[in-house]
Amino acid sequence: MISRRKFLSLGLAVAAGYLFHSRRVHGAPFPQFFFAQLKYRGGEWDPNPQFVESIIEELELRTSIDGMKERRITTLMDPDLFFYPLLYMAGKYEFEPFTSQEREVLKRFLTYGGFLFAEDAIGARGFGFDRSFRAEMKEIVPNHDLKRLPSDHSVFRSFYLLEGIGGRQRVHSYLEGITIDQWTPVIYSQNDLSGAWARDKLGKWVHDCVPGGEPQRSLAFKTGINIIVYSLTSDYKKDLVHHPFIKRRQNL
Amino acid sequence: MTLMPIFPLWLILLLLFLGSGLVLLQYVLIRRKLGSSRALVITLLRCFSFFLLISFALNPLFVSKKEHRVSPTLAILIATSQSMGLPGGTGKGSRLEEARSLLLDEPRGLLKRLKEKYEVKVYALGESLRTLEEEELSRLRVGGKNANLSGALEKLGSGNPLVVLFSDGNLQWENKSSGVSSPLVVPVGTPDGYKDVLIKSVKAPSMAFRGREVTIDVTLKGYGYRGLTLPVVLKDGNRLLTGKSIRFNENPSEATLALSFTPQEIGQHSLSVSVLPQVGESLVSNNTVNLSLKVMRDKMRVLMVSGSPSMNYRFMRMALKSDPSIDLLSFVILRTPSDVLNVPLQEQSLIPFPVETLFSKELTEFDLLIFDNFPYHFYFHPKYLGAIKEFVKGGGSFALMGGPHLFGRYGGTPIEEILPVRLTGKEDYRRDFPSGVKVSRTGSSHPILRWSAGDGQGVNNPLTLWEELPTLDGFNLLEPKNSGVVLLESTDRETWPILVVGSYGKGRILVLATDYTWKWYSGMVAKGRGNWAYLKFIEKMVRWLTRDPSLDPVEITLPERGGTVGEEKEVRIRTKEGSGVSLSVFNADGIKIRSQLKATGQSGEYLGSFLPEKGGIYKVKVETLGGQWEESLVITGPMENLDGAPDHEKLRMISASSGGKVLQKGDDLLKEIEDYARKKESRFLEEKRLPLWSTPLTLILVVTLLGMEWYLRRRWGLI
Repeated sequence: MISRRKFLSLGLAVAAGYLFHSRRVHGAPFPQFFFAQLKYRGGEWDPNPQFVESIIEELELRTSIDGMKERRITTLMDPDLFFYPLLYMAGKYEFEPFTSQEREVLKRFLTYGGFLFAEDAIGARGFGFDRSFRAEMKEIVPNHDLKRLPSDHSVFRSFYLLEGIGGRQRVHSYLEGITIDQWTPVIYSQNDLSGAWARDKLGKWVHDCVPGGEPQRSLAFKTGINIIVYSLTSDYKKDLVHHPFIKRRQNL
Repeated sequence: MTLMPIFPLWLILLLLFLGSGLVLLQYVLIRRKLGSSRALVITLLRCFSFFLLISFALNPLFVSKKEHRVSPTLAILIATSQSMGLPGGTGKGSRLEEARSLLLDEPRGLLKRLKEKYEVKVYALGESLRTLEEEELSRLRVGGKNANLSGALEKLGSGNPLVVLFSDGNLQWENKSSGVSSPLVVPVGTPDGYKDVLIKSVKAPSMAFRGREVTIDVTLKGYGYRGLTLPVVLKDGNRLLTGKSIRFNENPSEATLALSFTPQEIGQHSLSVSVLPQVGESLVSNNTVNLSLKVMRDKMRVLMVSGSPSMNYRFMRMALKSDPSIDLLSFVILRTPSDVLNVPLQEQSLIPFPVETLFSKELTEFDLLIFDNFPYHFYFHPKYLGAIKEFVKGGGSFALMGGPHLFGRYGGTPIEEILPVRLTGKEDYRRDFPSGVKVSRTGSSHPILRWSAGDGQGVNNPLTLWEELPTLDGFNLLEPKNSGVVLLESTDRETWPILVVGSYGKGRILVLATDYTWKWYSGMVAKGRGNWAYLKFIEKMVRWLTRDPSLDPVEITLPERGGTVGEEKEVRIRTKEGSGVSLSVFNADGIKIRSQLKATGQSGEYLGSFLPEKGGIYKVKVETLGGQWEESLVITGPMENLDGAPDHEKLRMISASSGGKVLQKGDDLLKEIEDYARKKESRFLEEKRLPLWSTPLTLILVVTLLGMEWYLRRRWGLI
């Protein structure tokens, strides 16, 4: 007959083994690529909760990048913030201004190699999320404006050669960004790319893409892949070795 | 006779007038008592005495003059320039021996005969003037640079001797006509028939960059080889670098050519420019000039191949691109063969991975090859791994960054042979428990991890810095080989090597068994401590791999422009290694020579010295506990660049400009010197003066006259 002490010891050992095992199963805290979505105060921080799986599937199917199909929800005060390969921020409405401490952290993150991809799911300039986001960027990096990225920017060449961008809606045919030296740590879209990526559990697209339909969605995926590849390779495609190939293909 | 009055003349005339008046008055007074004749006798006696005294005041002198002649001192100067050691033209050995023969050989015995007539001093004329005793003359040797005649004449100028110079004309001469002697010149050597080819000058940089053309300008001079075409070659040790032909159209003739080559290997190179010895050449040791060339890289060329886009690639790229001394070419595998591409070619930015070009042709153009989590087997044939092995063996550097796709694939390949680690064969990548790192026992003294306060803020204790860095979320499980040196190891339950270095052939290898070092960048930024730790780590890693001198713990500073034989050379050594520094110097034959080393008193600074006794390239080797470092220094030999042709034209020019004369060997040298000495004789007049009043005779005469006057006065009753 088993004693109570022995039973408790066995129970603790099983629990420890389970915990140990679970860490092994879930893998490393920071895999090669994953989305870390910023949760902020006010507004609506998560307009497309089902966007991750489809874009990661597409990423793994097309590229050599291994991605994690689960996103991480984070805040600017998260101590692990600086380890995230891509900080994703989306929204529809105005949100509460960041605190000075949050601004300082985000400034340090962006200045020292961090990458932020932000999306306005409504797509109305000077309204809602767009208004708050632009104001925050002006506060955080006052000497660098959010500008339209030129067509030869690395983000349009990092994997696919893109001439436009897709999205759930077609507000702009371009991306905007803040460029510091050769690196663009902030890329901003008002086309709601994640809206085009979002898929429900049954595999159906959550939103229609208007006005371009499925080609627009396809372009949204290509844009997403390019943004992810850019976040991991920086301006690699600006290296001289790529120029003749890209030029030749653009002339085909 | 001449007068030199002791009083002004007017005073003497006044005295004469007054005295004459008194004498006349006396005559008048005593004539009444003694009569005219007796008064006249006494008056005349007084008159004589008076005029005698007045004549003393006029100081009459007898002056006699005599002319004297003095022969000059003879200064015999024998040039001891190197060229005086070359064969003379009389078949009596060297030019120095020819000069010696003219001075000493009987029956003429010039020196002996001169000494009979003159005061003779003999000097050896080198860079400075040295007095010789007669017995030293037979032992006199050539040496040093060309004799400095201007300096010697200036030095002799004060005594104004007659200078007789024996020289072949290879002299330093500046025309300073004032205050120097006009030498009599006896040329030795024979310009006619002198045959030689020499490398007169070589203009070469002391430093060059790998891959950039270096041009060396060479000036040659030929005597007696008109119409000859001959090859000039540039060698690196025994390896021929380049060569060109040159033709002498005149006699003598001078020609310049440019030798160009492109250095490919960094480091110190011992080069030589030479021309083949020709038949009948008087001197062959001036046919070669040695030079030392330090070849550096202008930029470190790094080729990086990454298995996929990753944070590791992004931050490595950022670090490498931020270093202006690094030229980075990177390839990132954006899609694997199993990935599906859903667009036509014109919509892809992917470029073919130029395996053949990179690994067969251009690999040696790079200093460092980095494989970053790169599974080679998908992309190229294993034969290219052999090319990488050869690249490292030949001096290239190779770094292998870890990751999930990496090490198992290299088992049994040429890469595994050169790695400083063994692949364990276990599940070779672990991504379960994040692990920190610590510096191994050997790591703390290694240049990659030997950080100082100057490397960044907070490096007061470099060992604890590593323990403050964020944990690594994945690493490869490896075992170090005996040849490998573990610098960083995991702090996990089991200790695994994280950073291992080694070497193969002439190259260096590094294995970083993780793809998470980028966390050291982000983690330190998150703590508000900046990104310097990661950037410094990558920089030191690359610099150590590429043998960048900035990482050397020993700095050797040699004289910039080499040196000459017999001139002590200084070597300054600065080391970060503390004590245990030793210096060895090897001459051009590879023989260790005597050298000295002492501490300067400054921390880590030493001053070494050595005395080169022959020309060539000297190796200066410094050994410390951490290794050995070598630099080379060119010591110019006495005959290198020596233009030994007798330059009698220069001797004529010196004579003409200084007012001297050129004698010929056939002349009667003794007669010529005597004639010249006669003209240089010093003359002076000797003048003797005899004052008359100071003679005893005049005193006796005055006393006698006054005594006679006194006697007559007494006799005739005036007293």
